[in-house]
Amino acid sequence: MSSDGDNDDFVYDDEYEYDDGFDQDEEADEIDSTSEPDVYDALSPAIEEAPQKKPYDVTWKVKTLQEIIDMQNKEIKKIQSVLEVPPSSAAVLLRHYAWNSEKLQEQFWNDPATALQEAGLSPPSSPTTSTQPLPSGPFECPVCCMDYDAASLEKNTYAMGCGHRFCKDCWTEYLTGKIKAEGESGNIQCMEDGCSRIVREEVIDEMVAADVFKKYHNLLNAAFVADSPNLRWCPHPDCQYIIECNQAPTRMLDQLVPTVECKCGNELCFGCGHPASHRPVLCRVVKMWEKKCADDSETANWLQANTKECGKCNSTIEKNGGCNHMTCKKCKWEFCWVCMGPWSEHGTSWYQCNRFDEKSGVDARDTQAKSRASLDRYLHYFNRWANHEHSAKLDAEFYKKTEKKMEQMQNSGNLSWIEVQFAKQAVDVVIKARITLKWSYCMAFYLKRNNMTELFEDNQRDLERAVENLGYLLEQNIIDTDSIAKLRSDITNQAAYVQKRHDILMDDTLKGYLERRWEFAIPT
Amino acid sequence: MSDARLRRVQKEIKDCAKDKTSNISIDMIDESPFHLIGAFPGPPDTPYEGGYYEVDIVIPDAYPFQPVKMKFITKVYHPNVSSASGAICLDILKDAWSPVLTLKSTLISLQSLLCEPVPNDPQDAEVAKHYLADRESFNATAKHWAQAYAQAPVHKQKAISGKLATDAEMAGLSEENVAGFTDMGFPREQVPWLAH
Repeated sequence: MSSDGDNDDFVYDDEYEYDDGFDQDEEADEIDSTSEPDVYDALSPAIEEAPQKKPYDVTWKVKTLQEIIDMQNKEIKKIQSVLEVPPSSAAVLLRHYAWNSEKLQEQFWNDPATALQEAGLSPPSSPTTSTQPLPSGPFECPVCCMDYDAASLEKNTYAMGCGHRFCKDCWTEYLTGKIKAEGESGNIQCMEDGCSRIVREEVIDEMVAADVFKKYHNLLNAAFVADSPNLRWCPHPDCQYIIECNQAPTRMLDQLVPTVECKCGNELCFGCGHPASHRPVLCRVVKMWEKKCADDSETANWLQANTKECGKCNSTIEKNGGCNHMTCKKCKWEFCWVCMGPWSEHGTSWYQCNRFDEKSGVDARDTQAKSRASLDRYLHYFNRWANHEHSAKLDAEFYKKTEKKMEQMQNSGNLSWIEVQFAKQAVDVVIKARITLKWSYCMAFYLKRNNMTELFEDNQRDLERAVENLGYLLEQNIIDTDSIAKLRSDITNQAAYVQKRHDILMDDTLKGYLERRWEFAIPT
Repeated sequence: MSDARLRRVQKEIKDCAKDKTSNISIDMIDESPFHLIGAFPGPPDTPYEGGYYEVDIVIPDAYPFQPVKMKFITKVYHPNVSSASGAICLDILKDAWSPVLTLKSTLISLQSLLCEPVPNDPQDAEVAKHYLADRESFNATAKHWAQAYAQAPVHKQKAISGKLATDAEMAGLSEENVAGFTDMGFPREQVPWLAH
């Protein structure tokens, strides 16, 4: 598992290999032969082997912005020499085909004229500076209505190969607006209505200010990363790195949870860009869960506390005053709010219900219980998920507390700095385990009830207990030197146990995807 | 660049005034040349024929690099025009705008939008549904709106059944829609769209 950016032996993608990559192929084979004969390793022969690679782990590299720019230039150079077009045309073509050079070449050799035209580059040999004949008489810019005499035309106006001429001031204004206000980059077209000619880099460089041109380049880089399925920006604030991972294409995301670590020290999911690990839950399930929680959790809690369902039509009813004689607005069913039974059987016992055990009332409450069950089930999982989320958020405080305790131990127990590090390590283990536990509740919510799910929940329960025990030990007060020694061994042992339970849960769940063991109660 | 904006708008207003063939007018509302009223006749052989349509025009600061803002002042029954606000769904008013397009060419585009609705990209989903479901009835309603709001000449109209169209049919409503209001206790003449 490498995050080293040694780009010397960089291979863009297996699929993008051409004959000029002869050396790289040899190198790739070498590495391939030393690695395990594993089907998942075959996906990325060029990335070095990590010591304990699990079948569900992915390999990745962290790239700098400069490396991303180099990647683009390399592709542009390749296309430029293969298709024999100027570099700026090669760039426009590649951007038009979302950097899929295979598709570009196929289309180009099929019908060069159409390929160029579709990319906004006709006629093919269009020069960067206009060879369109200058109008002989005075010229009025059709955008700003400014008149230019024939002598100043060359200096003050510009037309691309398509021949649509405008004054340079208008070009500047137009391009600056497109780049700064609308965030467009690779697909800015000619100003003329219906003209799809793309404005190229050199033209933009000539027309706009330096800061706008810089922004233009940033946008081009962003578009390149967005177009490349094997690249993703690190989502953490102020982080400028880009992750490259060739093993987690979208079709694999039903079997893999591609958690990677950026050079900035943070983890992220390469599959969906979640800014932390969401193992062991699949990206698709996480997305569904987060949407459900955003929609439902608070509303569900409120409903749980404040409403009942109509015994006839299951409409949710809030009683906001008045007597216990309720009439459902929707189905006109009349019932008693206290026992939920039909009002017709209440006779004269108005405002006072003493018939809680009557059969009709029990039946009505049964119906209600069923509709409540699904809500309760969701809240069960949600509350546990939210609980671990909350605990994990208190990380910083937990660290601070533990640091204080470590100081105390150094002072009162005559322990060295290195000897008290066990406490910090234990906190790290707890936090990691809590994040995994959190996601395990999301997983359990969507799992179908079967034996596999029971095994999953057993593992979950074991981990949860172990974590709580360790948390308890870490909260213990230090009384004297003897107790420190005991506490230290207890914590160290328990932390090791938590780590082990954590690895078992993670290992089993992630392997389960590859073995297709998990059945979800959701459409795939 | 605001010089260029003013120069261009003034020229556009002048050119439009000179052009007698297109039947399109652009007038200032007050002193500002950046808030205008455009107007054009409803296109012939459409339910809008004979009507006269006014459009509110706001020239944005970045004009002509940003599209002009237009909405109908005159109420129009059309799939791509909001029947409530007059907002218009037309590509050249959004991403297909080009700086060489003018107020006049945009108003001409609006005129042809009245000829050829695009019900698959509607602004008013209810109207679009009506257009797709029953063209004859849609045309009757659109014509009624043209008469009621755009001064189109009124002829006694025959409904689909051959009888005189009811007020509900003219407004594009069914009797059930009207009943929905009257059941709640609203007098019939206060039902929205029936009350003119």
